[in-house]
Amino acid sequence: MVTINYASREISCKIVFYGPGLSGKTTNLQYVHKKVPTQTRGELISLATDTDRTLFFDFLPINLGTIQGFSTRFQLYTVPGQVYYNATRKLVLRGVDGLVFVGDSQLSKMDENVESLNNLMENLKEYGYKLEELPLVIQYNKRDLENVASLEELEKIINTYGCPYFEAVAVKGVGVFDTLKMICKLVMAKIQKQAGVAPEPTVERQVAVPAVESGLSSGLSPLSQERKKLEPTEVVKYPDVDRKSFEQENEGKREKEPVFSSSKEFGEKTEVLREDKPEGFQTTAQSSQIPEIKPLQTSDAKVTKSKHTESKAFETNVSETTLRGAKSLEMDTKKKAEEVKKIWPEFSGLKVIRDTPRAQAKKRKKRFFLFRWFKKSKKS
Amino acid sequence: MSNENYVIYEEELEHINRILMKLLKGAEAKCVLLVDKDGYLVTRQGFTHSLDTTALAALLAGSFASTKEIARLVGEPEFSVLFHQGKKDHIHISLVGERTILVVIFDDRTTIGMVRLYAKEMGAELLTILSGVNKTKKTAPKGLDSQFTASAESRLDDLFHE
Repeated sequence: MVTINYASREISCKIVFYGPGLSGKTTNLQYVHKKVPTQTRGELISLATDTDRTLFFDFLPINLGTIQGFSTRFQLYTVPGQVYYNATRKLVLRGVDGLVFVGDSQLSKMDENVESLNNLMENLKEYGYKLEELPLVIQYNKRDLENVASLEELEKIINTYGCPYFEAVAVKGVGVFDTLKMICKLVMAKIQKQAGVAPEPTVERQVAVPAVESGLSSGLSPLSQERKKLEPTEVVKYPDVDRKSFEQENEGKREKEPVFSSSKEFGEKTEVLREDKPEGFQTTAQSSQIPEIKPLQTSDAKVTKSKHTESKAFETNVSETTLRGAKSLEMDTKKKAEEVKKIWPEFSGLKVIRDTPRAQAKKRKKRFFLFRWFKKSKKS
Repeated sequence: MSNENYVIYEEELEHINRILMKLLKGAEAKCVLLVDKDGYLVTRQGFTHSLDTTALAALLAGSFASTKEIARLVGEPEFSVLFHQGKKDHIHISLVGERTILVVIFDDRTTIGMVRLYAKEMGAELLTILSGVNKTKKTAPKGLDSQFTASAESRLDDLFHE
C-alpha cells in the first residue's frame, strides 16, 4: 500500500509488472532504466537465472522529485513469469498499488496470457485485493512480430475490465513510457482520492523538517540526527521566558536551591572563566541561552518549584563544573607561584611552564571529550 | 494483513530513530534499517551513505518474504529472526510487529549475541510505537492538495518522453 511519510515528506508507491513468461516485463524496466535520466532513477536490480529469466523480481526505483513538498517515488517491480515460480510471484504482489499486465500479442501465447491473468486474480485474492479495484493498465507487447492477434481479439480475451491499454514493442521502447505514464497517473489519482483534500495535520512540523534534509531518502544523515538529538529540547521550549521578570514574579517565594547553595562565589568565578575560555572549547547552547548567572538570591519565604527553574539550574551547574575542570590546571600553577613568593619574596624565577602547542591541543581534546561526557550523562 | 495506508508522522519517526540510535550504540552495529514488509524503507540510522538503502530495503523485504514461505512449507508460521553471515559484515534481521522488519548490519567489532540482545529489547520498544502508528493513522486526517495529481501528471510528462 502507499506509504506516506509525513516526517521525511515522502510518498512511495509500488507498481508491479505482471504477465506470462517471456512477455517482456523485464525488457520494459530495462528500457525505462536506459532512458530515464540518472538522477531520477536508482539502479535496476535483477534477480535472474543464468539464462536471464527473472527468478524473484526486478526492481527499479524512480524518483519523481518533489511534488507539493512531497518527494514522490515509484518502485517498479516485475514478477517471474514462469508458472512454477508462483510462490515468489505472489510475494512480490504484497502491498501493490498499481499493476501493469504485459501480455504477449502472439497468437500462440494467448493461453498463457489468460492463465497468467487468472493467476494474478488468484494471488491478489490471497492478499485480499480485487483486480477491479486496483489501478490496472494492459500492455499488448511484441506488436512488431508476425502472427499476432488483432487488437479486437486481445481486448475481448484479456481486457475484460475495460482498462486502459497500449500497444507496445518493448525492445524498441514503443509504448513503454505511455504505459508507465498511465499507470503512474492512475496510482496518483488513487492516492489523492485516499488521502483526501483535508488540510495537512502537521503544518507546524513541516517547518521543523528542512527541505534539504528531507530530500535525503527517509533518513537524515546520521550526523545531523545526532545533532538533532543533542539539541536542548527543554530550553528551546521556554525561550521567551525572561529571567528577570520571572524572578520578580517569584521574588520572595523562591527556595534556596540545593545545587547552588554552597557555591555563591562559584557563580562569580564562572563569570571570569567564561571570558577567557580556551578556543575549541564550546559552551553549550544551554549556557548561551541563559542570560546571566547571578549569585543566588536566597530568601526564607515559601517554596515554589517549577520545572523551568529546576532544569535551568541543573544546566547551569553542569556548564560551571565543566569549565572549572578545564581551568583547574592553570589555577593551580598560579596559586603555587604565590605561595612560593610569600616565603621567598625575592624569588622571581618561577615561570609558568607552558605546554607545547601539541600538548595544548591534546588537552583541549581531552576537555572536549570530558564536556561531551557530561552532556551525555546529563541526558541519561 | 492490513490494507490500509501506512502514514508516519514526524513525532513517531523521531521516537523510532531514537530507539534505533540506542540499538546502534548499544550493540556497536554499523547501521540499522527499519523496513516495511512491502519493501519500503521506513527509516535508517548509522553509516548508510555508502549503501543503496532503497534497493537494500526491497531485497531484504523480498528475502524475508521468501523465508516466510519456506517457513510455511516446513510447517512454521514464520521465522522471526534471520542471520546472514559474511566474511566481514553480517546482517541480523528480525521481525517487529506484523509488518516491519528491523535490520542490523554489523561487523566483527561486536558479537552476534550483543546484536541479538539489543535487537530483541529494542524490537519490543519499537513494537509499542508502531502499534501506536497503526492506531493513530485511522483517526489522523491525511491531506494532499487537490492540485497534487495535476502537478504529478505534468512532472510525469516531463520525465517520460521519448
